[in-house]
Amino acid sequence: MPDFSLIIVLVVALALIFDFTNGFHDTANAMATPIATGAMKPKVAVGVASILNLVGAFLSTEVARTISGGIIKEGDGGVLITPELIFAGLIGAIVWNLVTWLMGLPSSSSHALFGGLIGATIIGVGTQAVDYNVVAAKVILPALIAPVIAGVVALVATRLAYMITRRDVGQPDGRGGFRYAQIFSSSLVALAHGTNDAQKTMGVITLTLIAGGFQAVGSGPTFWVIAACALAIAIGTYTGGWRIIRTMGTGLTEIKPAQGFAAETSTAATILASSHLGFALSTTQVASGSVIGSGLGRRGSTIRWGMAGRIALGWVMTLPASAIMGAFAAGLALLGPIGIVLDMVIGTIVIMVLFRWSRRNRVTHHTLLNDIDDAGRVVSIKKTPRRLSRSARRKVSL
Amino acid sequence: MIDWAAFLIVSAASLVSAALVVSLYSLGLRLFTTAGRIPLVGPHEFTGAITVLSPKKAAKQVKRARKAAAANPLSDAQKRLALYAGCVCFILCAVAVLYGVYLIVPVLHA
Repeated sequence: MPDFSLIIVLVVALALIFDFTNGFHDTANAMATPIATGAMKPKVAVGVASILNLVGAFLSTEVARTISGGIIKEGDGGVLITPELIFAGLIGAIVWNLVTWLMGLPSSSSHALFGGLIGATIIGVGTQAVDYNVVAAKVILPALIAPVIAGVVALVATRLAYMITRRDVGQPDGRGGFRYAQIFSSSLVALAHGTNDAQKTMGVITLTLIAGGFQAVGSGPTFWVIAACALAIAIGTYTGGWRIIRTMGTGLTEIKPAQGFAAETSTAATILASSHLGFALSTTQVASGSVIGSGLGRRGSTIRWGMAGRIALGWVMTLPASAIMGAFAAGLALLGPIGIVLDMVIGTIVIMVLFRWSRRNRVTHHTLLNDIDDAGRVVSIKKTPRRLSRSARRKVSL
Repeated sequence: MIDWAAFLIVSAASLVSAALVVSLYSLGLRLFTTAGRIPLVGPHEFTGAITVLSPKKAAKQVKRARKAAAANPLSDAQKRLALYAGCVCFILCAVAVLYGVYLIVPVLHA
């Protein structure tokens, strides 16, 4: 059946593309705050995140085994998800990920994936194939809870950090020292992300290979699948979703080193606690909640609630929007080989259009630097600065 | 269907662990500052969104830090104690981070 293996090749390729978009969409979760406070240079930060994602993907394959997580009733007495439906779901997820990236919105890639698969299943099999209770308990409720928990934790942590380091006015408080800690806390977030998110793609590919009879039922992902997914997410992370980094790092609130450290530690603690106590939360939502919480925790800082509202709207839209796109793609894919070709053509055109659109106002680490430098120039210095003594330069490495 | 107990445990665990790590590190910074070793870490080339230090301002800060350290009312022994206590805080913090890594890698605890 050459037709059958062709669709499987397509699904694997699309899954890797999705993994790539997942990577650059989620760089911001770990690296937006250290970039914003200047704890790490932008390129160094995304490099570190990318390596940790690569390593993380090899560390664990537990999540990959339970990817669909019962949302779609498969198995005995349930329905069979065909590769065509997975293909359609992936198209929906990729397109929605690119749309939110273009708008600079941090949105959950897993929700996009679930949404796409749910939409495709509803069209392909029927509404009864989706277990809505599981959707509510595993996707919608955590989405409401995640930012709240993370926000409260980050608020408390920020308050503590400022309280403990508070000194009399005019006395140096050493809060710049939080920058060292930020390197470690953000790395922890990146590693946790790697062990979770690359898994989802591995799960999808493995599911497809099993459905196509290439792999025994119940077996885990093979080595080449793990390696390919790890590479795809690492390359995606290194590309850096600068638009989303800008939103998270400077769009929500001004971030100072103490806040950045508190936010990252809260993100890491919340993700680790949730994934170990069986209550999976979205990394993106936890990280955004932490940033807002740390903004609330510092006296005199302001939160741009308009931006926070846009982000929240993006979260609400993610599941239905990617479901609609997945459903549309599934409708075409069910027409047979012509439908699949049509799907691919339309998908490619949409991606090209989005990419062209993004070129109009490019955001790279250079423009990010310029934005910040311009902000600095407004408050800047009138006289030409004197050269520092050597010891002073060593201490305050600008 | 909705597991409220798990939700409570997750919130409590994250709150306690994040608060612990942040407090330890802050306490370490505080003790170092008290001991006269004020950590001055400038923004790393990428002059952060907020703190824009000119070299002059930076030099001023270094000077102020030296002055503050010189005017420290603590005796040498007290300073040394604060420094060691600060080190202990940082080490405990590092242990907490390593525990995080241990939790992330299933090979270690499976």
